[in-house]
Amino acid sequence: MIYDSLFIKRPGLTVGSLFFLTILMVSTCHADKEGHPEAFKVTPGMENLLDANCYACHDEWEQEGKIRLDQLETLSLSARLDLLNKMQEKIRFKEMPPRKEKEQPTDAERTALLKWLSGELKKHNASKLEDKLRMPDYGNYVDHDKLFSGKNKHLKPFTPDRRWLISEFIFDAKFNRLLNSKPILKIDGTRQHVLGKRSSFTNPFLLPGNTGVRYYANETLNGGHLLTMLSNAKESARRMTTGLARRDRNYIPALAAIMDAENRHYATLASRKSFLNSYADQVLRDIYADKNDVLLPKFVRVKIEEKKTVDANGKPLKKAEFHAAAPGKEEIRIIYRDLKKHQKDGDTDEQLIEKCEHDWFSFGVNERRIKTRVVFMNGYMAGMKREMNTGHYKNVRLAPYKKLNDTEMQAITSAVLKHRKKGDTYGAIISKCMAEWEQGFIQERIKAGPPKAEIVGALVEQLFNKILERSPTSEEAEKHVTLTQSYIKSLGREKAIEKLIQTLILNTEFVYRSEFGQGQADAHGRRMMSPRDASYALAYALTDSSPDSELAKAVAEGRLATRADYEREVRRMLAKRAQYYVIDESVNNQNDIANFTNMPIREFRFFREFFGYPKMLAIFKDNKRFGANYDRTKQRLVTEADRLVEHIVENDKDVFKELLATDKFYIYHSGDNEGMKVSSDRIRKIYDYFKDKGWEDFTLEDLIKHKDFIGEIKMRGIDVSRLKSSGAYNPLRAFQNQMKSFTLRLGKGQTAAAPYNSFPAHGMANADTRYGGRLQSPEVAKFYGIDMYNWNYQSVQPAKIDHRMGILTHPAWLIAHAQNTETDPIHRGKWIREKLLAGTIPDVPITVEAVVPEDPHKTLRQRLNAKTKAKYCWTCHQKMNPLGLPFEMYDDFGRFRTAERLEYPENLIKKSESKGGLEQDLRDIYKTLPVKSAGVLQGTGDKKLDGEVKDALDLISRLAKSDRVRQSIIRYAFRYFMGRNEFLTDSKTLMDADQAYLKSGGSFDAVIVSLLTSDSFIYRKVSNTSNN
Amino acid sequence: MNNRRDFLKTSALTAGAFALPSSLSALTAGSAAGTPPIRFVFIRKSNGIRPNELALPTFSDAEKALDAKRQPMEVDLDKHELPEWLRPLNKHKANLSILQGLSCKMSENGHWSYSSVMGAYKSGRNSLSGIKRATIDFELAKLSPSPFEHVELSLTGNYSTFRTGIVSGYSAPAPHQRNYCYADPQTAYNELFKSVINPSAVDSDNAMLAFLQGEENFKAGKLLGYEKLKLSNHISSIEAIRARNKKLEKMSDAIAKHLPKIDPVHADGGLNASTPEKQKAMTDILVAALVTGLTNVVTYTIDELSTPIKGLQGNEGDHISIHELGHSGGYSGISADTIREKIRVGHMEQVATIVERLKATPEGSGKGSMFDSTVVMYFPENGEGHHSHGTEAPFITLAGDYCKLDMSGRYIRLPYHGTEGHKTIGNWYTTLLNAYGNPIKHYGDFDLEMSRKKLAQVGAIKQLMA
Repeated sequence: MIYDSLFIKRPGLTVGSLFFLTILMVSTCHADKEGHPEAFKVTPGMENLLDANCYACHDEWEQEGKIRLDQLETLSLSARLDLLNKMQEKIRFKEMPPRKEKEQPTDAERTALLKWLSGELKKHNASKLEDKLRMPDYGNYVDHDKLFSGKNKHLKPFTPDRRWLISEFIFDAKFNRLLNSKPILKIDGTRQHVLGKRSSFTNPFLLPGNTGVRYYANETLNGGHLLTMLSNAKESARRMTTGLARRDRNYIPALAAIMDAENRHYATLASRKSFLNSYADQVLRDIYADKNDVLLPKFVRVKIEEKKTVDANGKPLKKAEFHAAAPGKEEIRIIYRDLKKHQKDGDTDEQLIEKCEHDWFSFGVNERRIKTRVVFMNGYMAGMKREMNTGHYKNVRLAPYKKLNDTEMQAITSAVLKHRKKGDTYGAIISKCMAEWEQGFIQERIKAGPPKAEIVGALVEQLFNKILERSPTSEEAEKHVTLTQSYIKSLGREKAIEKLIQTLILNTEFVYRSEFGQGQADAHGRRMMSPRDASYALAYALTDSSPDSELAKAVAEGRLATRADYEREVRRMLAKRAQYYVIDESVNNQNDIANFTNMPIREFRFFREFFGYPKMLAIFKDNKRFGANYDRTKQRLVTEADRLVEHIVENDKDVFKELLATDKFYIYHSGDNEGMKVSSDRIRKIYDYFKDKGWEDFTLEDLIKHKDFIGEIKMRGIDVSRLKSSGAYNPLRAFQNQMKSFTLRLGKGQTAAAPYNSFPAHGMANADTRYGGRLQSPEVAKFYGIDMYNWNYQSVQPAKIDHRMGILTHPAWLIAHAQNTETDPIHRGKWIREKLLAGTIPDVPITVEAVVPEDPHKTLRQRLNAKTKAKYCWTCHQKMNPLGLPFEMYDDFGRFRTAERLEYPENLIKKSESKGGLEQDLRDIYKTLPVKSAGVLQGTGDKKLDGEVKDALDLISRLAKSDRVRQSIIRYAFRYFMGRNEFLTDSKTLMDADQAYLKSGGSFDAVIVSLLTSDSFIYRKVSNTSNN
Repeated sequence: MNNRRDFLKTSALTAGAFALPSSLSALTAGSAAGTPPIRFVFIRKSNGIRPNELALPTFSDAEKALDAKRQPMEVDLDKHELPEWLRPLNKHKANLSILQGLSCKMSENGHWSYSSVMGAYKSGRNSLSGIKRATIDFELAKLSPSPFEHVELSLTGNYSTFRTGIVSGYSAPAPHQRNYCYADPQTAYNELFKSVINPSAVDSDNAMLAFLQGEENFKAGKLLGYEKLKLSNHISSIEAIRARNKKLEKMSDAIAKHLPKIDPVHADGGLNASTPEKQKAMTDILVAALVTGLTNVVTYTIDELSTPIKGLQGNEGDHISIHELGHSGGYSGISADTIREKIRVGHMEQVATIVERLKATPEGSGKGSMFDSTVVMYFPENGEGHHSHGTEAPFITLAGDYCKLDMSGRYIRLPYHGTEGHKTIGNWYTTLLNAYGNPIKHYGDFDLEMSRKKLAQVGAIKQLMA
């Protein structure tokens, strides 16, 4: 693998081989003949280079950045290694000497310096550069022009053999698969099995929160993973054995077979217990006839204290609501069951309660529980009777007594006769019988001996397939059978199986994806991935799940061995739309936010992560400064950004350009154009129908006259079946509130009304989500500066919005790249430099206090300039600020603006109300200054595009036309699908993907096909040093 | 934290926490020879604490007025009587402090705060992605290593029944991670003291780890370079856990000596146990976990809104919903306010027991006790009421003689939310971290009203630093 690390232009040597050669050369000379470490010495040649290039700013007279390089020999080892690492990095990334001020060393000089530094660090195994170059932040340090010039297209791409730690998403999918968790969502009226729901386990494989590509094959398993996985393994093993396997014999057949006797015994015990718990009285009366009552303990009622109903002042005390006083679901079920049993006797409430209490006493129910039941019945009998035959409890009743089969009845009778003593409650008798039966069954199992080796072998085979998704090798099978047998010996069968499950879940194979070459190497030492590894690599490239059945079949039938095979499968998976995925569970809410897609989830997720707009969810913002309820609205904003991305990627034409420059957006929309139009039109119909009918002065009688219309069109909060002139039901207020709101939405000649609810209430909504829930949070329109009562709502979306152009002007992106209380031109600029222009920004020097000073009389732009225009800062900030400042045309909530509010207490002009209607802007009023949104674009490599820009829209329109921007996005796509940074050897892969995009008219599917059938993806090479 | 430089400083200090190998090394670490470890107990309660419930009944008129108007003030507790419900702490007044005036608006407000009140962030209800950082208890646990690092206990439910077993907790070991916690006394007992009460289970754990280590060693033997590293780190982790288990084995005598007795009513999740019985058993376990040295940090959710209250004295027959109490619903003729107070009294009895047991356990030289280096904090998970706005987040703390904070024996009211000098839970947690060795400049998110008003809000509460 080749990093573009050394800038050598000697013919006949690849830069990568030189890099390794360099390291090898210096690594051999770090001890003298006696083995003593050599004293550190700056060689005369290096001294000259340092003198010529570095000492001017870093010697005894000058210590820029508090760095001094002329006394390296006197430093302690750790301080010197630290400094040498910094030097290596600065020289490697050409950050030093400063470009504009200093004459630059030649490539040869730079190489020599690097060789020396690398050698010194290698002596102590202390170089940090290789680790850094693997990190996502350093991907752009590979020269863009060299990648796309064609000069390196002859290099042979490959990816090293590797293990790749599973992602947080694969973790969830794995556990959901293992535990047969198949969540269902009703989407567009149809029940759909969805993927992407979080598992209930603690997820130790969380991806970093950065924008861009988050999932790289760099991570290694560590102690944190193991600690969490120990608990996860234990819990999942418990659920698999005591839950799933008991319910479904086919879940793991060998487990069921080994547990057969136990499970039969459990079932018998459960059946007897349930039977006796329900019919003990009947059974014991059958056995003991009249003597039964004599044998029971004497009934003593629980003592209930008299309760007050008024407080010390004689005022009635507020009593807990029925549902809040009920003693738990199971308890209330028992109460209803027994009430119904005795109700037929025609007793008074008091008699009824006493009869129930008697039953419970005879049964031996804990006294505290009896008391709780009785207290509840005493206090809420009227409510209980009201609900007795409705809702959840309608069907609660004891089924008529039916004996078990003769053998069972015989076993029960004999145990009862053996154990019953005078004074025993039914519960006590049952416990004694159960203990005897349980002990008997245990003895029976001990007598039967341990399970045979064959069945344990089958268990190992089936658990390997269930957990690791493959059969064990014969050696593995043998080892695991022996291990399981030792577990059985010490723990018993069920616990032993749990332990085996834990062992397999804790195998590193469960959490590492395996991508290794197999078979004959080509002339360049590359081998194709094994078909099995390839099937997982392809499945995980596009989804979070293991290979689907067709991919698995292709492996089994030997049809995943050529590039054409890969292409066939990639195209098939890209076209698949039968599977729905929840995109983001922290956004998704069945009640009001539908956040799903049926695109291959990782294709969609690339853009979500590349743009990084979901990061806005973590930005904590002030409702007051938003002027409405920001917290309630932010999820809707993210899901509407998701919808826009999905819409563009699904169209698959000019995808990058569309994402960057579309002028169409979703605002308060479910994604169902037809449904939204019906909802909006309905409001129009209601408004038109009533607008001239004097609805403001309607009485109930007037409303009743329009019952037919209301019944047909349906109005929120009005139940026409209850509309009667004589009745107490009066929904006039609901009606008038709606009409007031509809008038505000349509009364000024607006073309259509946004179908949001006029007031909060359960029941029907004015518009539905695609899950059938209530579409809420219309305040999302406020991010676009829309006046809610002067809104020409567009039902068909995405629709054109003024002052917006693409995702970078979507409020979600703007907030994600803003601070809590102000915008963030630096990070917006940094994002564009790195993500769209394939540029690099050095780390902020440790000595920099990166805080923009406060000043109540200046705009942020002015304050930022005052801080960053200093020579020391501007070297880096010139790469960011001019790209970020054009976005000052939006505030930190993403609202378009022409003036910046100077939000300092001394600039406060007027305080606004804290609460108000949707139409109100609840922001405090501050003094303002005009916004300047000019900036400069440099770095596209295209003279027609580079230059001054007047605002963000001008900037974006140029970016959208840039070849470099297109290629930069392709570089990120490469990293996303390969899980690593690109190297010069990947030049051909990148150029092919770029061409695939251009030739297909801007299809992202074409890019994916190109990448996943490239040599970089298909070919693997043995990794044998820590440097690659 | 405020800027990148601070971030680097603090992340260097806590880097291990994210990678978590440090957690593993912490498992086998002990405190410096002769120095007792520092201990923290966080007790979360639901339904808020209304600030006037903490006002001292013997306030002078002037003090009463200041307190009612939420003006800053400070009085010595030894010159005053405690409110009725705090009386179980009378004996410990010298260790007690009542801290009023903190706010928690940057955490979730309303009915529930989930993990956010201990992390000073908005968690987006209880979403995983909302967990922004390790909660304060985990940050403190890093400063005081122990075999279990951190133990979380809870008595929660679904209004109908108590949760049982090992369930999701409210603490967060790292961003986007939810802790596991023990939800009933029997489970906590079985898991924490397993090395003594169920050694065969520990043996089988060790056998499994040994097998895994052998397998991974075999695989790693065939690899080189970076790929080898991917397995060797894992092998080291297995070794560390085995070392932890060995250490626990060695501690088994000490554990056995302090093993709590759990009443049979708690078997199988304790279906018939009353809430006070569950609380008492949890207290026994909490104290034993500290005394045996298994952990130095415990977080205990003594109740949340959906915890059923059963068997409360005077309401023995009622199945009480704490949520309903928040909406003024009374039970058996007893008003919601009275029951709320009775619940708090029950809590205080448990807090007093924890303090007394630790005081009765000698530690260090001379007359020292385990309580000397312990800080117990009792606080509402959601601020000042049933439906809180987060403007007030009172804390009741009890701290021993080695406490590094200067607040014991005092009632302290800090300036009110949104005014000059106001402090948030972020400032409070920063104070704890700074005092006990983490120099972080600020822990937690900032308060947006303070930001909007450009009021200073960074760092520790200086007046509380010893």
